[in-house]
Amino acid sequence: MRLSAAQAYEKYADRVFAVAFSVCRDRADADDVTQDTFMRYLTQDQNYRDEEHLKAWLLRVAVNRAKDLTRAFWRRNRVSWEDTMAELPFEEPADRDLFAAVMDLPEKYRVAIHLFYYEDYSIAQIAVLLGLREGTVKSRLSRGRTLLKNTLMEDWNDDE
Amino acid sequence: MTNEARYKRAFSTLHASGNFMEVKTMNNTKKRYVPKLAAICAAAALVLALAGGAYAADVGGVRHAVQVWLHGDLTNATLDIQGGEYTLTYTDGQGNAQERGGGGIVMEADGSERPLTEGEIVEQLNSPEVEYGEDGAVTVWWRGQQLDITDKFDGKVCYVKLTDGAETVYLTVKYHGGYGWSNEDYPDPSDFYAE
Repeated sequence: MRLSAAQAYEKYADRVFAVAFSVCRDRADADDVTQDTFMRYLTQDQNYRDEEHLKAWLLRVAVNRAKDLTRAFWRRNRVSWEDTMAELPFEEPADRDLFAAVMDLPEKYRVAIHLFYYEDYSIAQIAVLLGLREGTVKSRLSRGRTLLKNTLMEDWNDDE
Repeated sequence: MTNEARYKRAFSTLHASGNFMEVKTMNNTKKRYVPKLAAICAAAALVLALAGGAYAADVGGVRHAVQVWLHGDLTNATLDIQGGEYTLTYTDGQGNAQERGGGGIVMEADGSERPLTEGEIVEQLNSPEVEYGEDGAVTVWWRGQQLDITDKFDGKVCYVKLTDGAETVYLTVKYHGGYGWSNEDYPDPSDFYAE
């Protein structure tokens, strides 16, 4: 199956942006990654098994592109994520605290945490998407959760 | 509230700034991206100057009879097109019947899709091509010329400038990771995503 590029953008642009932001923590970079990802989708004549396969492809492309951007020297010294966070319309103050705590995580934990809690991916699915072993993903999730618990205390439940 | 619910609520505040029309605007350039994997080579640019020679464009007039550059030879072929998908049949230098196919779509500015035209298909067929030999050789074919770039990769990326005096093409090749070309500048190798 294949959605038109316009349909795919309408349906998944925010998800692509969110995963890109979880990697690069910069709005402008995340927007660039989003544009790049959908331009790639637009120019590649590829069919997908189903929408889950399509979404996974988009997220994988976005994560890799975002990682490329974060490594580029000339990308440093841009708008801080704290400044970006200050403009976000959180419903509750605790949401802001959670957002900040996640942004403070090392990148490798942030991405795993985001894919698990936001995209509802299993450890196995995250492993495939990131090209990692399941044990590695499990370890990153565990360490990320520990760090979040240490920061958020009772505002973060114990779960495995 | 579960961690998942709390996380989703917090991160649902993130929204992409752009819109789809911006993506399409970015795509309205003369860059071409081929969804094939190529290898990566050196950063040194190679220039392949073509000494001239005929360039066969769409012959027109006869819908399915075309001339295309195949492995450096201007070849007479039969092009059958159905809904943007094409089949190209021709006879190779050894007298064997050969066939290749392909196709694609074009996104119009209003968001609609249409199949490639015959002219666009012929243009695609005449575009640079990277070939990997069983012996590990990497060859670029463009119109009547071929260039061995096997030893020209630097860190798995190779940049090749192709010109015949009338047109210049900037080709970026990633070793077994795709390739792309443009008439303006070398495409960024990070734009080729190899699955």
